[in-house]
Amino acid sequence: MNAIKTKTSASWLCSLGLALAFTLPVQNLHANETDASWDKTLEAAKGQTVYFNAWGGSDRINEYLEWSAKRIKEEFDVTLEHVKIGDIAEVVGQLEAAKTVGRDTDGNVDLMWVNGENFAAMKRNDLIVGAFADVLPNTDFVKKSPSIEMDFSVPVEGLESPWGGAQLVFMHDTQITQTPPVSAQQLLDFVNDGGRFAYPAPPAFHGTTIVKQLLHELSNGHEALSKPVDDADFEAVTAPLWAYLDELHPGLWGKGKSWPNNAESTRQMLDDGELDIAISFNPNEASAAVKAGQLPDSVRTYAFDNGTIGNTHFVTIPYNAKAKEGAMVVANFLISSEAQARKANPDVWGDPTVLDVNALSDEDKKAFEAIDLGPWVLQAGAQILPEPHASWTGALEQAWLERYGK
Amino acid sequence: MTRFIGYSIACLFGLPLLVGLAGSILPAVGLMPQLAPGNGLLQLFQDPRFWPSILLSIKTGLTATLLVLFVTVLTLVCAHGTRLWGWLMGFMPPLLAVPHAAMAVGLVFLISPSGWLVRLTSTVVPGLDRPPTAWVVPDSGGWSLILGLVIKEAPFLLLAAAAQLATINVDSSLKIGRTLGYSPARCWSRLVLPQLYSRIRLTLFIILAFNLSVVDMAVLLGPGNPPTFSVFLLSLVNDPGSRAAASAGAVLLAAGVLLVIGTVLVLEVLVAWVAGRRRESGHRGKALNAFRRLGQVLIASLLALSVTSMVMLLVWSVARRWRFPDALPSQWTGDNWLSRSELLLNPLLCTLTFALFVVVVTTASAIAWLESERFNKVPKLDWLWYIPLLIPQVTLLFGWQALALLIRADGQWLTVAYAHWVYTLPYVVLILAVAWREFDPGWNNAAAVLGACYWRILFRIRLPLLIKPVSQAAAVALAVSVAQYLPTLLLGAGRHQTLAIELVTSFGGVDRRVIATLAALQSLLPLVAFIAALGLPKLIFPTTHQSNASA
Repeated sequence: MNAIKTKTSASWLCSLGLALAFTLPVQNLHANETDASWDKTLEAAKGQTVYFNAWGGSDRINEYLEWSAKRIKEEFDVTLEHVKIGDIAEVVGQLEAAKTVGRDTDGNVDLMWVNGENFAAMKRNDLIVGAFADVLPNTDFVKKSPSIEMDFSVPVEGLESPWGGAQLVFMHDTQITQTPPVSAQQLLDFVNDGGRFAYPAPPAFHGTTIVKQLLHELSNGHEALSKPVDDADFEAVTAPLWAYLDELHPGLWGKGKSWPNNAESTRQMLDDGELDIAISFNPNEASAAVKAGQLPDSVRTYAFDNGTIGNTHFVTIPYNAKAKEGAMVVANFLISSEAQARKANPDVWGDPTVLDVNALSDEDKKAFEAIDLGPWVLQAGAQILPEPHASWTGALEQAWLERYGK
Repeated sequence: MTRFIGYSIACLFGLPLLVGLAGSILPAVGLMPQLAPGNGLLQLFQDPRFWPSILLSIKTGLTATLLVLFVTVLTLVCAHGTRLWGWLMGFMPPLLAVPHAAMAVGLVFLISPSGWLVRLTSTVVPGLDRPPTAWVVPDSGGWSLILGLVIKEAPFLLLAAAAQLATINVDSSLKIGRTLGYSPARCWSRLVLPQLYSRIRLTLFIILAFNLSVVDMAVLLGPGNPPTFSVFLLSLVNDPGSRAAASAGAVLLAAGVLLVIGTVLVLEVLVAWVAGRRRESGHRGKALNAFRRLGQVLIASLLALSVTSMVMLLVWSVARRWRFPDALPSQWTGDNWLSRSELLLNPLLCTLTFALFVVVVTTASAIAWLESERFNKVPKLDWLWYIPLLIPQVTLLFGWQALALLIRADGQWLTVAYAHWVYTLPYVVLILAVAWREFDPGWNNAAAVLGACYWRILFRIRLPLLIKPVSQAAAVALAVSVAQYLPTLLLGAGRHQTLAIELVTSFGGVDRRVIATLAALQSLLPLVAFIAALGLPKLIFPTTHQSNASA
C-alpha cells in the first residue's frame, strides 16, 4: 500500500503542474483573440481524434453526428468519434475520479455534451479546460440571451459552447385526445378521468424536468427557485409538489410503480396507444417523427398555458482532454450556420438553433428560412420558463427518490 | 515447454479472477481511498434503494431458478420419448445461442399491453382498439424479468440434462420402473432424477448465480425503480463518490450467491432424505395423462414464446408503420437494414473483431491446455473453469475496472478482448474436454508407430477427427463473445460499441424498428456460426468420418 500512496502524492504534484500547463494556452488564446491563433488551433487539430461523449439514445442525433464527423473530417482533417453514453453524469464522475488519481493528461474524453447540474459540477470542480468558447470564431453569431449566458442560473463564462435550444413540450394525438391538459390541475383531472399519462422516473432527465415544471407552477414560480437550494426552505417550497404527486401517481401508467425509461419511450407509447400524452424536450420532435413513420399525422405539440421550462444545451472540453484543439474545432463547427441549419431541420433532428439568424448573411439565413416544420410542432408564442438553479436538480431528484423510489 | 504453455494459460485465466476479487474487496473495505473514498458498506446501507433492490434480486433470481428447474423436470417427465421431445432438441441449441439481450427485446415486443399477443387477440376480440391498462412491461414486481430468465435459461439446463441422460442409461431405468408397475412420473422421480440431479447440479448453480446477478436482461426487462441489485450497483460504480459502495455491494452479491448455493446444498440433503423415505414406501402412483398433457402444453407455450420473440424481432426490423391494433405492419420496408447501414455496420464490425479474435485464441488455448493435460504435464483443473461462471460478473468486473483505471488500461481493445477470453474459455474447455478425454488413444499410437511426429499427429489425425466438437466449441465461443455486455461496457470506456452495448444502451430511446434490427443482427451472428459449425467440417475434411472418432 505504501508504494501506491507514494505514487499518489507524486501524481498529485504532477496533476497540479499539468493542470496549470493545460489551462494556460487557452487563456493565451483568450487574451489575443486573433485569426492567427485560431489558425494555430486548426493546424494543431489536424490528424487528431476527438472522442465526443454524448447521449446516444436517439438515432436521429446519432446520424446527425455521423454527418458532422464526415464534414469535419473533410474540412479540418479531424476525426470525430461519437462515444454513445446513457447519462453524462457518469462521465462527470469519471472525470472527478481521473482528477483524484491524477490522470491529468491523455484523458478518454475530448468533448462532452452537458448542461445544468453537470456543467455546474464540472465548473465547481475545475474539470473544464478553460474559457475556450470565447475564442471560437463562430461565437460571434450566437444569440445573446439569458438562457445562453446562464446555464440553470450558473454563469457560463465561456466554459461551454452552446449547441441547441430546448423547451419542455407535450404531444398528443388529436384523434384520441381533443383537448389535452394545459396546466398541472388539468393534468391531474385528466389522469383521474382515465387519461393515460406517465413520466420517466427522476433522475432521468425528462422526469426531473417534469417535476421542475410542476414545482414551478405549484409554487407560483417561487423566487427561491433561482437561487441555490441551500438558501431555500426546501420543505416549505416543495410541499405542494409532493402533495400533488401523491395524488397524481396512482392514476399514471404503471400506477406510480413502473416508469417509462425516457421521453423517447413516451413517444413510442403514444404511437402504441399505451399513453395519450408524450413528453419531449424538443419542440420540433413531432415533425421528424411523423415523417419517419413513428407518430400518426394527427399528432400535435403543445405547452402549458403558463409556459414550460426551457434551456440551452452545450458542449464543453474536459481539463484533461487529449485532443483539445480538435475538440475546439468540433465545437466551432457545431455552431457554424451550416451545422446549425441542418440540425434545425426536422428531417434531420429538428433541434432549435442557438444562432441569431438575423445576424447571419442572407445566404445563411435562407437555409434556416427553407426549413418546413409542418403543423405538428409547437406553434410560436409558448412562454419559456427558466430552469431552477442547478443545485435544485440534485435536491429534487433525491427527494423524489426517497418518496417514490422504493 | 508443454508444461509452460499449460501453466501460462491457467495463470492468465486464474490471475484475473484473483485480481477481480481483490479489486472489489479492497475498495469495499476502504483500502483504495484514491479510487474509492469513504466507507462503502455504510454508504450502501444508507442508500434507500439498498434493501428494496436486494429483495427484488432475491425474488427474481430464486423464482426464475426454481421455475427453470421445474420446467426442466416437467419437460423430462412429460415430453421425453414424445414427438415434442424431438422438437425441443431441435429448437433448444439455437435458442441457447441467442443473446439474452436480443431475446429480452423480442419478449417486450411480444408481451407488452401493445405487444403482438394483444394485437393478435384484438383481431378476434372486438372492442380492443386500445392497449389494455391492466399490466405494464416491465412490471414493478419483476415478473417480466423472471419470464425472460426462464425462457432463456431453461434450454441451458434442459440440454445439460439431455446430454446426461445417455450416461445414466435412462431408457433401461424407465423400462425397469414400468415393469415394476410405477407410473411414468414416478419412474422419473424415483429412478432417474436422483441419478440425474447430481450431474446437472453445477449447471443449476451457474444458472442460479447468473439469475441472481444478471445485468443486461435486468436493464431491459426488470423494474427500474428500484432496479435489481446488480443494476443498482452498476449505477453506483461509475460515480467515484459511490465506488466504495458499489464494490462493497459487489462483494455482498458474491457472498450472497455463495450463501444461496450453500443453502441449496443443505436443502438437497433434506430433499434426498424425504425422497428416500418416499422411495422406500413403494407406492406406484397413478398415470395421470391429463397432467402429462398439461405439462406438454405449458412447455410448448414456453417454446412458442421464445421462438415468437425472435420472429418478432424480424417482423419489426422490416416494418415501416405498424400501429396498434394491427396484427401486422401496414407498411413494410427494407430501410431499417439497408439505409441505416452505418448504424449497423460499425457495431457489427466491432462485435466481429472481438468475436473472431476470441474464437481463434480461445479455441487454440483450450486445445493447448487439453493437450498438456493429456500428457499429464498439468493436472485436471475442471473446478477452475467454473469459477468465473459462479462468481457474479459484476463482482469480477468492478475489480478489473478498478485495476484497469489504475494502470490506465481501460478503453484498450486488448483489455476488453482479454475479458471476453476469460468468459469464453470455460465453455470451450469444458466442451472440448469431453471429446478430448474420450478420444481413442489407438489412433495416436498407430500414427506414432508409423513414424508421425507430434505435430503431424495433432494436425493430421487428432484435429481432423475432432473437428466436429472443435467447430462446435468455436461457435459457442462466438456466441458467448457476441452476447457479452458488462465486460465491454465496464472495461471499454465507451470506446467499443458492440451490438450488445448498442442494443442495451439505446433500448427505449432509439426507434423500435432500429432496436429490432440490431437485436435481429445480434441473434443472427451465433446462428450463422452454429450453421457453419455443422457445415464446415464436412467441407474441410470431406473424407473423414468424424462421427466415429469420439463415439
